[in-house]
Amino acid sequence: MKNYLKLVNFEVNRFIKVYLSLIGITVVLQLVGTFLKSKSYLKEANWMIYKEGVPVQEFLEMNGYMDLVRVLGSWWFIFPIIICIAVLLIYVFLIWYRDWFGKSTFIYRLLMLPTARINIYLAKATTIFLMVLGLVALQLVLLPIENKMIDVMIPDEFQMALTSKEAISSYHPLSVLFPNYFSDFLIYYGIGFMVVFLIFTAILFERSFQVKGIFYGIIYIAIMMGILVAPIFTVLFTGKSYLYPLELFYLEIILGILVMILSILISRYLLNKKITV
Amino acid sequence: MKKLRIMRGREKMIEVKNITKNYGRKKVLKGVSFTANKGEITCLIGINGVGKTTIMNAIMNLTPIKSGEILIDGKKVDKASYEKITFIPDEITMLQQMRIEEAMEFMKDFYTSWNQKRADEMLHFFRLEKTDRISELSKGNRAKANLLLGLALDVDYVLMDEPFSGIDIFSREQIAEVFTSHLIEERGVIITTHEIHDIEHLIDKAVLLDQGVILKEFDAEEVREKEGKSIVDVMREVYRA
Amino acid sequence: MGLKFNSRDPVYVQVVQHFKERIAKGELEPGGEVPSRRELANKLKINPNTAQRAYREMEEEGLIFTEGNLPSRVTKDEQILRALREELIMEATSAFITSMRSIKVPLDEMLENVKENYEKTSNNEGKGEND
Repeated sequence: MKNYLKLVNFEVNRFIKVYLSLIGITVVLQLVGTFLKSKSYLKEANWMIYKEGVPVQEFLEMNGYMDLVRVLGSWWFIFPIIICIAVLLIYVFLIWYRDWFGKSTFIYRLLMLPTARINIYLAKATTIFLMVLGLVALQLVLLPIENKMIDVMIPDEFQMALTSKEAISSYHPLSVLFPNYFSDFLIYYGIGFMVVFLIFTAILFERSFQVKGIFYGIIYIAIMMGILVAPIFTVLFTGKSYLYPLELFYLEIILGILVMILSILISRYLLNKKITV
Repeated sequence: MKKLRIMRGREKMIEVKNITKNYGRKKVLKGVSFTANKGEITCLIGINGVGKTTIMNAIMNLTPIKSGEILIDGKKVDKASYEKITFIPDEITMLQQMRIEEAMEFMKDFYTSWNQKRADEMLHFFRLEKTDRISELSKGNRAKANLLLGLALDVDYVLMDEPFSGIDIFSREQIAEVFTSHLIEERGVIITTHEIHDIEHLIDKAVLLDQGVILKEFDAEEVREKEGKSIVDVMREVYRA
Repeated sequence: MGLKFNSRDPVYVQVVQHFKERIAKGELEPGGEVPSRRELANKLKINPNTAQRAYREMEEEGLIFTEGNLPSRVTKDEQILRALREELIMEATSAFITSMRSIKVPLDEMLENVKENYEKTSNNEGKGEND
């Protein structure tokens, strides 16, 4: 356990510079975006109302209110999120391959640590999870700040006073990343983390059996996915269900947990018996 | 020696028993067997690509073998073994961006067998700067830092892969000096080399390897004493045959 | 005390030989301390096991002795020291005779050459000793 925590700490530190840059990019772009969006809305309103003499009511009917949703839909907001997701996705692979590639023979050191090798796997997975959750937390802190910024910059009569929560649920793509209910959060992110486990295990297949291992990895993921969707497909194709929706739901959760456990067990076997430096 | 006699039946050594390994269809190890005793320097000799590094990796369980067995003091390698045996590959096994002191800190964090006093001593002997980054070290100094990280562990066995290859003459001399010091005293050492010249007088046992098979395993002093032959003489006979 | 090893004689034998010569020359005095195994390995650039083996050999031959945990010392036994000197003389002489024989030099000429050259070279050697 102690070694696992040390490894987590070590893995986090290895990525911390890139991670802090991601945080920096997100904070800067989103705050600047919020500012500029509010500013341009104000400019538009000023122009229309004072220069063109359009009544306030008519302007609002034409242009709508200023609210957080306008920011959420803009590139200023979405671009950093896409960057964060992309970088973390790449890092899911890189967190392993960087130990093998280039001049570094760090995988020798990792595999020769006097600790169970599965700790390496778990530490790397934990690192990814922490990074993801950290970015989610950052966003949850940023949203109210952005909302407040709009509140301060825009006169009340032009505002639709939304809470950040309302803004997100009204803007669909984000409601996957930031679900309204905690249970949804657990499900979405549970699926995400399960996928990370699956990819990690596939990577270990590749690292153990090289080219053949790529096929093993793909086959492994396909089988696991098959197991997961089997109950749902049975319902879809046969048209009848032997389970109530809630039972089906629990079955899926159990299957998901089984898939994760299986991934860990197979990875442990590969790390102990098959991995090659 | 006297101690070893008393411990008869469970002598301290690394036993490599008839191991085989393939890379795809290519057979890289075709039934390799030898032993390396604690308190002796055993040298795996062979040109590049005959499987020396693969044998080292196999001993450390860093690559799977197809058949055969490897025992250290009669036991298979597990996680506890890494406090008893260490491997120094031909490239430094630390992150390039780390400073030497950070690398030492890492070792100290994970290994109970880490001996900081000895590490400091070697730092001084090799004239390395703690604050230097590994990526900025010269080739010779990288090799020395690599050696330091392995030898500062209080382990019974040390494996070194080509410790002399591709570095300047002064670094080579300094590294050879390690083999005459308390740093390897009483430990079992296996080193690989394709060039015996620097260390001919230093090794106890030579294991000649070619194309995944052991051609000959012999005690260097015994061959000199009984047959009046140098290690190179034996190599000439064996490899020209 | 540098020592250039040849690669065809056992290293430990060469170390023992080296010690014998130093004792015979008087560089190592009877009863004088000899370096520790570890120091010797370091100085001669040999494996500590080999140093250990050389010392064991010398102990068995009675050239050095160890009391308890004290450092090993050169023997004070006159008989052994005398025998050592004789052994070295015999070795050198027989090597000399062998090479003289191989080029078919008769005894008279050999002795004559020895006398003549011994005087000549002894001065130079005397200087060499002090290095």
